[in-house]
Amino acid sequence: MTTLRNLWAVPTARFALVVLAAVALLALFGEALAPHDPLRQYTDRVLEGPSADHLLGTDYVGRDVLSRLMTGTRLSVVGAAEAVLIGGALGIPTGLASAWLGPRLEWLTLRVSDTLVILPFTVFAIAVAGTLGNGLQQAMFAIGVLISPIFFRVTRAVALGLRRQQYVEAAELMGASQWWTLRKHIWSKVLPNVAVTAAQATGAALLVVASLSFLGLGVSPPAPTWGGMLASDLDYLAQQPWAPVYPGLLMMATVGSLNLLADAVREATGDAPRRRRKRRSPSASPSAGPSAAAPVNARKENADA
Amino acid sequence: MTRARTSPPRLNLPNPRQSRRGFLGLGLAAGIVLSLEACGGASTADSGSGGTKTIKWAWQLPTTWDPVTSSAGSDVQMLALAYDPLTALDEQGNAVPWLAESWAYDEAGTSVTFTLRPGLTFSDGKPIDAAAVAASIERGRTQDGSLIAPQMATIKKVSASSDLEVLVELSEVDYQYPLLFAGKTGMVVNPAAFEKDAAALATQPAGSGPFTVTSYVQNDHASMKKNPRFHLADEIKVENFDLYPQQDPSTAVASVRSGQFNVGRLGGAQVQQAKDAGLDVQVIDTMYISVLDVNATMAPFDDPAVVEAMKFGIDREKVREVAFFGLGDVNYQPFPPGYVGYNAELEDLYAYDPEKARQLLADAGYTAPVKGTFTSSGQSDPAVELIQAQLKEIGIELEIESIPPTQHTQLVYLEHSKALTYDGFAGRESPVQAFQVLFGAEGLMNPGRKTSPELEAQLEKVKKTPTDSPDYPALLQEATKIAVTSFPNVFLQLMPSAIARKGVSELPDLPSLRRFEGVTA
Repeated sequence: MTTLRNLWAVPTARFALVVLAAVALLALFGEALAPHDPLRQYTDRVLEGPSADHLLGTDYVGRDVLSRLMTGTRLSVVGAAEAVLIGGALGIPTGLASAWLGPRLEWLTLRVSDTLVILPFTVFAIAVAGTLGNGLQQAMFAIGVLISPIFFRVTRAVALGLRRQQYVEAAELMGASQWWTLRKHIWSKVLPNVAVTAAQATGAALLVVASLSFLGLGVSPPAPTWGGMLASDLDYLAQQPWAPVYPGLLMMATVGSLNLLADAVREATGDAPRRRRKRRSPSASPSAGPSAAAPVNARKENADA
Repeated sequence: MTRARTSPPRLNLPNPRQSRRGFLGLGLAAGIVLSLEACGGASTADSGSGGTKTIKWAWQLPTTWDPVTSSAGSDVQMLALAYDPLTALDEQGNAVPWLAESWAYDEAGTSVTFTLRPGLTFSDGKPIDAAAVAASIERGRTQDGSLIAPQMATIKKVSASSDLEVLVELSEVDYQYPLLFAGKTGMVVNPAAFEKDAAALATQPAGSGPFTVTSYVQNDHASMKKNPRFHLADEIKVENFDLYPQQDPSTAVASVRSGQFNVGRLGGAQVQQAKDAGLDVQVIDTMYISVLDVNATMAPFDDPAVVEAMKFGIDREKVREVAFFGLGDVNYQPFPPGYVGYNAELEDLYAYDPEKARQLLADAGYTAPVKGTFTSSGQSDPAVELIQAQLKEIGIELEIESIPPTQHTQLVYLEHSKALTYDGFAGRESPVQAFQVLFGAEGLMNPGRKTSPELEAQLEKVKKTPTDSPDYPALLQEATKIAVTSFPNVFLQLMPSAIARKGVSELPDLPSLRRFEGVTA
């Protein structure tokens, strides 16, 4: 709750949360709230500008643009979330394990992570889609695998810093099991860093999902996605030069909000708020716990990598 | 407290932060100006305007520069820049002289003698005599991996009966060869080149066409210069021809307007834009027709009722109007009006009738929507989406599957693994050849490989009838009727070629090949 209160105290976080809540609302209820069937073709009203019937106009086969934007939110956002979940599921446990379970596993996971880092997102996703079939699940699996090293490195960096903390060593000397130590002492410190990473990774994944749909991968037409709409709009710039702005704005707002939220989470859980609070009230006692050290270590590990 | 200046402001060096900001600001301003300029502002670098004597066309690059191994029908357009065929086609699709000034069949129709024009030479100066032509044809029909060999299956022997006479002996009567030799099959390749290194022809064409390739970067561009030894060299008014792959439709107009190219291919959506931009727009009739390749061995199209319903359930006129902005004409057969194989009886054969389509499905016992997959390799996404929606209205629910264009040949033509595919047929020089591609046992666009004995018997009659016989048109048109009514292919509409020109004169209006005789730049 303290973290949430700290988060809400940051103005940019409030803005980001409002935007993301709206996007989440669209993802959940966009199709139901859409004024028209997003697939219905009004072929006598092709490429029309905004009107009372179609607030954002119609596309190249006469479909309502607003309805497609609202409906397309789900596939665009869910795809990104799916990739981040896969990335987290692969990266976080291996990150913890590499810091905890000995040098052989550490060597192996680091080499795998290094290998994945050098693969370009879009090209790898295209290759996977070409091999496993052109579907959203295949593309998201590919993106999730490539995102996992980010989670791996952040988790590992934090865990490495905590591994050497006296209270962790004390718990181990007193006979605490590895699982207990991880659960009680490590996970609560890793979580804020994972949250920051997840927010940033979601933004990146959202752009990759949009890029893939732009290239015609992932989601088959006529299902609407932001990237797919952007791609098709580009063919009709002479008729509707404003059309790419709509999906572009939605993408920009969502990715921007995720990045703002990531910054705010870092601020709410890391050094920054304490520094600010310190400036505001010099008498406040500084926190010297591992949660303060962890992000610093995380950054150092990342810099080393 | 205010800080006193110690030197005149104009001489004061800005601090690094200000300098960076200023630089960024200047950079941004310069970027905006350059972007706006590139986005279609009046171009001052008018390299594409008159007098350059260079045609720069973002048209298409061939799959190979060897006509024997070319795997795309549309390659013939580009190959004709470097090679000459024995014959050519006129506007009605009749064979007319090109390298061969005349030809004559014997009485039985089992051999044909082509007489070459005198004094012909390849671009390297070697003579084009009957021996060279015979060697070129012989290579085409015997080389391993030749993709034109099946079209010459009835040739028994090719020989030079004199310096200028090529004798083609046939195993059966076949009057289609003068037509067939107007395309890739008849393109004469320099024997000196293929006897030395046939594989090199893929990147270094060796012919006698209007241009010779001076540099070729695969998937990037081909630079050509005028071939002074071309037999109509006096009519070639440009010195250079730079060929590029087709550009993205959204950039077509801007690229011609800016002078990057001086000829560009347009989609229907760009025609008005090109006119508004002051470019010369030319719409040329072609033999190209959009078509749905139907694999009648795969569900749900293994049921003739579903295929028949589909033919009636597509509103082709609406597709033409919406997807192609009114370009082209609805057509239900593989030949355009005016062509000898065009059958006027089929003019409204599958006119849009959704009620009839629904009834066909109901009569066949379908009470629930018919499910299937509709494959698209990106040739026209709007058309695919329109057709999908129209078929859904009659009870055929298709899921669109997108495949990369590069996999189209493999998946559709070779593996026959797709049930329904949006495709296009570029036409062939010989109508019998066209039937073989579309409906033959080995036809690329006959994914189900189903054949019709009735059609084959009719085509035998066509082949055995001289093309100048009064019976020929009726026999061919009957073959068209049999094919269209008994095969599952769904013909949609004729697709003209729309081009934007800047500083380039009008192109000859031939439906089969783009020619450049008399074209100035």
